[in-house]
Amino acid sequence: MIRCENLYKSYPMGHGRKKVLEGLNFEIGRGDRVGVLGRNGAGKTTLIKLIGAVEMPTSGRIKREMKVSWPLGFAGGFQGSLTGYDNARFIARIYDRDYREIRDFVEDFTELGRQLKMPVKTYSSGMRARLAFALSLAIEFDCYLIDEVILVGDQNFHRKCHYELFEKRADRALVLASHSPDTIREFCNRTIVLRNGKGEVYDNIDEGLNIYDTL
Amino acid sequence: MSSLRAGWRIQIRVISALMIRELTTRFGRENIGFLWMMVEPLLFAALVGIMWSFMRDDEHGVGVVAFVVTGYLPLTLFRHVVARSVKVFSVNGSLLYHRQINILDFIFVRFAIEVIGGMMAYVFIATILIGMKLFPVPAEPLFLINGWLLYCLFSLAVSLILAPLSEVSEALEKFIPVTTYIMIPFSGTFNMMSWLPPKVRDIMYWSPPANAMEMMRYGVFGDQVTPIYDPMVPLGISLVLLPIGLALCRRIRRTLVVE
Repeated sequence: MIRCENLYKSYPMGHGRKKVLEGLNFEIGRGDRVGVLGRNGAGKTTLIKLIGAVEMPTSGRIKREMKVSWPLGFAGGFQGSLTGYDNARFIARIYDRDYREIRDFVEDFTELGRQLKMPVKTYSSGMRARLAFALSLAIEFDCYLIDEVILVGDQNFHRKCHYELFEKRADRALVLASHSPDTIREFCNRTIVLRNGKGEVYDNIDEGLNIYDTL
Repeated sequence: MSSLRAGWRIQIRVISALMIRELTTRFGRENIGFLWMMVEPLLFAALVGIMWSFMRDDEHGVGVVAFVVTGYLPLTLFRHVVARSVKVFSVNGSLLYHRQINILDFIFVRFAIEVIGGMMAYVFIATILIGMKLFPVPAEPLFLINGWLLYCLFSLAVSLILAPLSEVSEALEKFIPVTTYIMIPFSGTFNMMSWLPPKVRDIMYWSPPANAMEMMRYGVFGDQVTPIYDPMVPLGISLVLLPIGLALCRRIRRTLVVE
């Protein structure tokens, strides 16, 4: 379970502060698949970063009783100047996994072939997404944090994600930020709609998506 | 106890992974790699050697080359440790995606690499110069090592304070290179305490690097020099700076914006 208690986050902006989240309370249970909805700048990425402990909340606290992945998004988690293999080796080292197992899984999942020997900064966003997913799936987490990035993949990648996340890992939790109603419908069973720094939780997907439509 | 041991194990693993990563990103896999670290001190030693061949000067009873080398190598370490701590958190921001990595690890890793590289350069250059009879065999190795350790400790303490400050102040970030040069006269690099007038010596007494330097010089030259030092100054000042630096790092982590 992950419990967010009275979460506030603001960033310095000019002379004042930009308040992004203002008192967020919610829980994510085991196996929950939460879709995060909100307009641009509503705080979706911020929320995911806070849950992943990449950034710290200005106040409030997050209790994590599951193994939470790092946020899978367009940035972060990788060293651009290192190759795909080097990044895999690094991840294997810090998460104490066998490098060969991870390498085999990454090769199989990403289908990037020789590109894995190239620096990650030369990858397209779709290729990055493949690598990020492959690495976090290989580590095995109880809860996956996914920021948009699922959308940049092609059909084949989408199918693979669906297979790995739903059929093989149906018991895992998921927090997915996305603007695509189809993706939310496909992957989630709950939604949280962010607006004006507050979050509203809807256990019915369609209800959440309807609210999101009116934003 | 077992959780403490597990934590320690994770820490060791993370540090070693970060060191390998830092070395590959900084020096690459091609050609001499890590040995590049020794190139700058080596070039410098070569230049001093050439200079020396024009002006033989033993007025203080010790060889100029050996004296300059013993002063310059630790100073290089200090300059590098400080320079590499500037903006170290935002540069490594993408690594904070992994929860087992602590921001202090960034500083320790860069510090460790500089210390190891600096020691390798020291041993290498000293060995060559001893072969050329330009450098004495260290008379009191223990003093050399202790002085070096104190010098390293002080460098670490300073970098722990400058690293978080450089994240919040653009101006400070620009001033750091200048201040490391201003520090040179207070570092004991090019002079011994005993050469100074008593008034200046009283001021220099409070300089942590100067005290550590005296110890190293005594370690190398033995009774050829008259060291004036107090190990408690670098030790005490570092131990005061360390917790301040740690607190600042902790504070900055709360507000750090990671891309």
